Amino acid sequence: MDAGLIAIGAGLAVGLAGLGTGMSQRDIGAAAVGAMIEDESLFGKGLILTVIPETIVIFGLVLGILLFTTI
Amino acid sequence: MFRRKTKANYPYAVARVRGKKRTLIKREDYSKLMMMELPEISRFLGETNYQKEMVDLGGRFDGVDLIEHATYRSMARNFRSVLDFSEGELKEMISAYLSRWDYWNVKVILRGKSFGADRDSVAEDLVPAGNMDEAYLEKLNSMGCCEDIIEELERRLHTKFPEEAVQAYKQLGKLSGIEDHLDRIHYQRLLDSIKPSTRPKRLFLNYIKREIDTSNLETIIMLKADNVCAEDIMRYVLDGGLQIDKNRATQLANAESVKAMADEMAGLDFYEDIKPALEEEEISPRKVVDALHRYRIRETEKFSHLYPLSVIPVIDYMVHKKLEVDNLRIIARGRVSGLDPETVKGLLVI
Repeated sequence: MDAGLIAIGAGLAVGLAGLGTGMSQRDIGAAAVGAMIEDESLFGKGLILTVIPETIVIFGLVLGILLFTTI
Repeated sequence: MFRRKTKANYPYAVARVRGKKRTLIKREDYSKLMMMELPEISRFLGETNYQKEMVDLGGRFDGVDLIEHATYRSMARNFRSVLDFSEGELKEMISAYLSRWDYWNVKVILRGKSFGADRDSVAEDLVPAGNMDEAYLEKLNSMGCCEDIIEELERRLHTKFPEEAVQAYKQLGKLSGIEDHLDRIHYQRLLDSIKPSTRPKRLFLNYIKREIDTSNLETIIMLKADNVCAEDIMRYVLDGGLQIDKNRATQLANAESVKAMADEMAGLDFYEDIKPALEEEEISPRKVVDALHRYRIRETEKFSHLYPLSVIPVIDYMVHKKLEVDNLRIIARGRVSGLDPETVKGLLVI
């Protein structure tokens, strides 16, 4: 029973973090592409800003792994 | 049944207009432009985002005509491109905002016809940035007289021009009544079209109401300076302002002079901005109006930073682009007329 709840918790940590990342990357990505169309030199900055929300899903993944190892 | 309404693409559109705004001519470049001769100004513009239009029109025009046509055409192209890449409610709001160019074009055609200008020269002064396409504007332009155009506009805009305005035009050739009616229906329809259901729409509505305020104040100041009576002034005041309603406008119009209006305006948001111009010994209405313009530009810029995911940054870009075009035309005309740079600088709104 405990192992099942932990597994659900791990799944939620990764899944919800991924959803949050996706939502923030949607707007940042759209803005980055918009900025790049007007000025190609902004490609680097746009790319960096777009990947920043990846940290959220990495935190979720780490939490998921930590939870999973306790089973 | 399950068709999703297209959502507004604020992040994408705002990032693009911010990018476009960065390419506008910098404040420090204006001082250089004022020192340049006309061919140098043309060359300078040919290296900026006016390049396409300068090249396209280079064979047909030269000198100040080339600069005037290229700047207007570039503005129209940029505004249409903003409309094209925006979506959902943002597109609706931009389209409503750009409808002012329809009324502008109609006024250009009417004025051109009444002063006997030929079809080509009227067509060259049109700015097809609004909702009326070039074919329709061409249709209006090819009509023989203003009466036909007025009839066609009544059909297209579903409006009836006041009989006295039509008679004033027919008998005295005065277009002011017709133009005033066009301004009135433009703002009335713009206000009616904005349903304040979302925050961006509420911001847009407030922006338009503020614009009506400053536009009304401009009208009152200019007419007051020309000693026009209050009753006549009130005929040109638009409805729907945020701070200047009919009562306030009547109070201002009934003031003895522009100086006497200062006390009536004390509570208004823009009072501090126009105060220095009103406190001068000899009040210049032009300076008060310029101060109002600067206030409007600064406010738009401020709100565009406060509400980045709204229509305001897009309007901010459009206001600055229009300002740039106006400034370039003033500089070019000033050079041709032989005005000294200091006088030209005084005419610019930077």
